[in-house]
Amino acid sequence: MTDVKALQQERISIYHDVYDDKIPKRVPVNISLPFEVIAQFGGLDLCEAQWNPAIIEEAVDKICQTVYSDVCVFMGSFRYPSFYQILKSQSFQMASNGFIQHPEVTGMLPEDYDYLIEKPYDCLLERVIPRQYKAFNPDDPINCAINFAKSILAFNNDFMQSGMIINKMEEKYGYYPGGLLSGGFTEAPFDFLSDQLRGFKGISMDIRRMPEKVAAACDALYPIVFKMGLPPIISNYTQVFIPLHMPPFMREKDFAKLYWPSFKRLLDEYASMGIHCTIFCEHDWTRYLDYLYELPTDTTLWFEYGDPKLIKEKLGKKHIITGLYPVMNLKTKTKEQCVEEVKRYIDILAPGGKYIFNFDKSPLLFSDIKLECLCAVAETVRDYAVYSNAGETAGMVFNKADYKVEPSRNLESKYYKTWEQYKALNPEVSDFGRPKLQNLEETIFHYLMFLLV
Amino acid sequence: MKNLITVEDLIIKSVEELDEEKVIRLASKALKAGMEPLFLLDLIKEGVKRVGKLYEDQKYFIADLIMAGLIFKEVLELEEMKVQFRRRNSKILGRVIVGTVKGDLHDIGKDIFKGLMEVNGFEAVDLGVDVSKEVFAQGVIKYKPDIVGLSGVLTSTIDSMKEIVDTLVDAGVRNDVKIILGGSHLTKEACDYIGADCYANDASAGVKLCKQMLGKI
Repeated sequence: MTDVKALQQERISIYHDVYDDKIPKRVPVNISLPFEVIAQFGGLDLCEAQWNPAIIEEAVDKICQTVYSDVCVFMGSFRYPSFYQILKSQSFQMASNGFIQHPEVTGMLPEDYDYLIEKPYDCLLERVIPRQYKAFNPDDPINCAINFAKSILAFNNDFMQSGMIINKMEEKYGYYPGGLLSGGFTEAPFDFLSDQLRGFKGISMDIRRMPEKVAAACDALYPIVFKMGLPPIISNYTQVFIPLHMPPFMREKDFAKLYWPSFKRLLDEYASMGIHCTIFCEHDWTRYLDYLYELPTDTTLWFEYGDPKLIKEKLGKKHIITGLYPVMNLKTKTKEQCVEEVKRYIDILAPGGKYIFNFDKSPLLFSDIKLECLCAVAETVRDYAVYSNAGETAGMVFNKADYKVEPSRNLESKYYKTWEQYKALNPEVSDFGRPKLQNLEETIFHYLMFLLV
Repeated sequence: MKNLITVEDLIIKSVEELDEEKVIRLASKALKAGMEPLFLLDLIKEGVKRVGKLYEDQKYFIADLIMAGLIFKEVLELEEMKVQFRRRNSKILGRVIVGTVKGDLHDIGKDIFKGLMEVNGFEAVDLGVDVSKEVFAQGVIKYKPDIVGLSGVLTSTIDSMKEIVDTLVDAGVRNDVKIILGGSHLTKEACDYIGADCYANDASAGVKLCKQMLGKI
């Protein structure tokens, strides 16, 4: 076995051990940097690189040689300008410095609630997407079709280019092939409703003005976000990534009533199928730690803020903890201070297993970090966070039979057809067409919903 | 008299409880019964202040501040209030121009700050998002504000903020204004580097600082 293959094997086994409730040989170093940071590292024009992701490869290769990580140091990107531009997105726009950002937008009006509750997918396609994407205009049907076709081609092209770079690096440097965006991706129903449908301000009003409709809308959206997050292959190692947004800005009472039930159910239903989730607890979740404890065993909790001791104490036996180490340290502290600090985090978070090293959040700019600090922190974790009791059981053990959830209602819409529905309408079609046609149906569903997250 | 006191308390309390419908109902009724619009405004402000206090005590959160701002705006939209405000707008504590700086499109923090400033008696001019240094400089010359509020969420905004302050220095207007920065990523070091007068990690703290800078508290 080559050195690279042997290293990859080691990396696979440390991640799998964590997910299999065992103490790994060492703590996995889960550092991956966003597209923008690596483009800047490579001295590329950010705008040009985002329009032509292939040109980032050289910079990616160089950063992979420079920074230690057990997953590919290049995260890829979720947001390329091509498809947003083609569809004239209101919700994702490039600012003057080349960063694609998400301004506050309202894709759904208060009067749309009833329709959303009755026919969620129809409402999203007929009302919300056309408001958010001006070139997806049902009043101009031919151009709407052309623009949509162009955008999905652009989407496939850009994601394929960055995906190929990641695959290449995984092969070349023997990374663990399970980066953040390699499994499923979805949002909590309440966040889906808040982010691009009602907007932060809109949902803040709705919580007060029409809480019962908010709750009903979360239930109506549930089958959509559930389906959206399903990973293509289910195993103990694939993760569904769910960034959580609104709870730190809400009162606990509203959270308990409006946010938590559909979110908890989502994770329970995935767990009943043997699917695990990585949730990013954006901002400060200290007041919700008891809720997080209730989530299925081995949920990976990525914290941005919080007291590591308290978090480890309350959640560390049941869940996998990651995050917390402030990425800001890499800019404001010396190399020695960064190293001391990371040892302190490891000493608290690593004992007993169920810990993966990551920063509290991804850096936004290359100038947000001093490279020598980043390298020193990554290498310290690799060399310092080594277990002497590898192979022992780590905390509570996941058992999918513990999770029983009534199956959710199916997605029903005139814009989405199961094979049986399609076949009933087109009885002449050969069954040989089934995998291809059904796959295309799923692809379109995922792309349309991706436009709203 | 007893009734009047009850109405006042009720108005304050329903703002504090963010009961929008009740506030509007009580406010309309009170105005029709002859309550002075400026007196009503003071009651609403008192309610909003209590919301701010609950926010500081972590009983309320940002979603609640947004709702309080909305209720305040709705009261101002009542016909009797609009008439009053067209006639008398001289009683302001100061004028502030606010904007999210170049490179950043986030507007929630800026909007909350602007709303709270208005509640607290400031006149606020909103320059929008992704605002360049030139537009800030022109804004200072045109509106002659007491305070310039630079808002940003992204860490990259530190450099934009510095450029804006430098431009105000070059334009010779830096010393005519106080500059406050708003954003959860800001620190004392960042503020010194940028050359602003102060910074706030949340909107309600920002309002207090603005009042302090103008010697209003």
